Amino acid sequence: MKKVTLYTLSTCPWCHKAKKFFADRNIPFTYIDYDLADEPTQKKISQELDAAGATGFPFVKIGDKVISGYQPDLYSRALGL
Amino acid sequence: MEAESRKRALQYFFDKVVAPMGFKFTPDAKLKDFLLEQEVILERKHGIPFCPCQPMRHDRARDMKIVCPCIPFHREHFDAIKRCWCGLFVHQDVIDPDSLPQLPPKDAGLE
Amino acid sequence: MSDKFIRAISTDEIAPGGMKTVEIEGQEIVICNCGGTYYAIQRRCGHMNAPLEMGTLDGKFVTCGMHCAQFDVTTGQALCGPVPADLGTEPLPPKAAAFLQRASTQMEHVRTESIRRYESKIEAGWVLVAL
Repeated sequence: MKKVTLYTLSTCPWCHKAKKFFADRNIPFTYIDYDLADEPTQKKISQELDAAGATGFPFVKIGDKVISGYQPDLYSRALGL
Repeated sequence: MEAESRKRALQYFFDKVVAPMGFKFTPDAKLKDFLLEQEVILERKHGIPFCPCQPMRHDRARDMKIVCPCIPFHREHFDAIKRCWCGLFVHQDVIDPDSLPQLPPKDAGLE
Repeated sequence: MSDKFIRAISTDEIAPGGMKTVEIEGQEIVICNCGGTYYAIQRRCGHMNAPLEMGTLDGKFVTCGMHCAQFDVTTGQALCGPVPADLGTEPLPPKAAAFLQRASTQMEHVRTESIRRYESKIEAGWVLVAL
């Protein structure tokens, strides 16, 4: 089972949808709400976003695949669904 | 300071900024209301209505680029996907905002 | 209670979108011309007392020139507080830094309050205000 990690914002509706996508399919995932995280965590996430050329959230990691934005088709593909 | 009045004021100001750039508020009324509500919350917390879907970098120069409406700072990207990142604004000809995926620049054929 | 209306200013003294201060019986009042409709508000910003006529009027919204607090001139309602200043990243001289430290402790308790709006009407080319 591929590891699923989300970086999200508590204020972002697309992040809520992304969390719901995995929850609805009973796919375990971990997430960090960037705006509620401490400074070192924010810095680390910020660097990851920059490295991936991501504009904003949600930022989804499925295995070693990185998907920026709410893109359920790409989530399904990365999961092999 | 009550949220509904602030949301209406933000709508008034934002309309004037985004229209000349070829954008309008999303026709998805629920999404629009939710995002404006989040911006009022962010404005109360930080003094500035930041985009509810982009990170504050705690670097003034970078953070100014996510002050709503942030379209001018992401013009090529947002014109390519016909929406802004959080979806509060869409191109004026858009009637079905659900059909516009949230694509980063590289997935939109940019960079 | 009857409102006594007092002549504040003649209508042709303020262009549409403009604001002007008058003082009536010791009260400082700003008259706003919102596209031909006139409103009267207290002069002093509900944040830190700056003169609102030195800000900007856009539609029915006045933005204070000092820290950008905004008010609805038709109701006096405060819509948002100040925008935080950009102090840059250079270290400040010690005295300035110490002053700012003390000031910011007190500033935490400053709120942006709604402002007083006065009843007004037009009569024979004059804006009249009820105190």
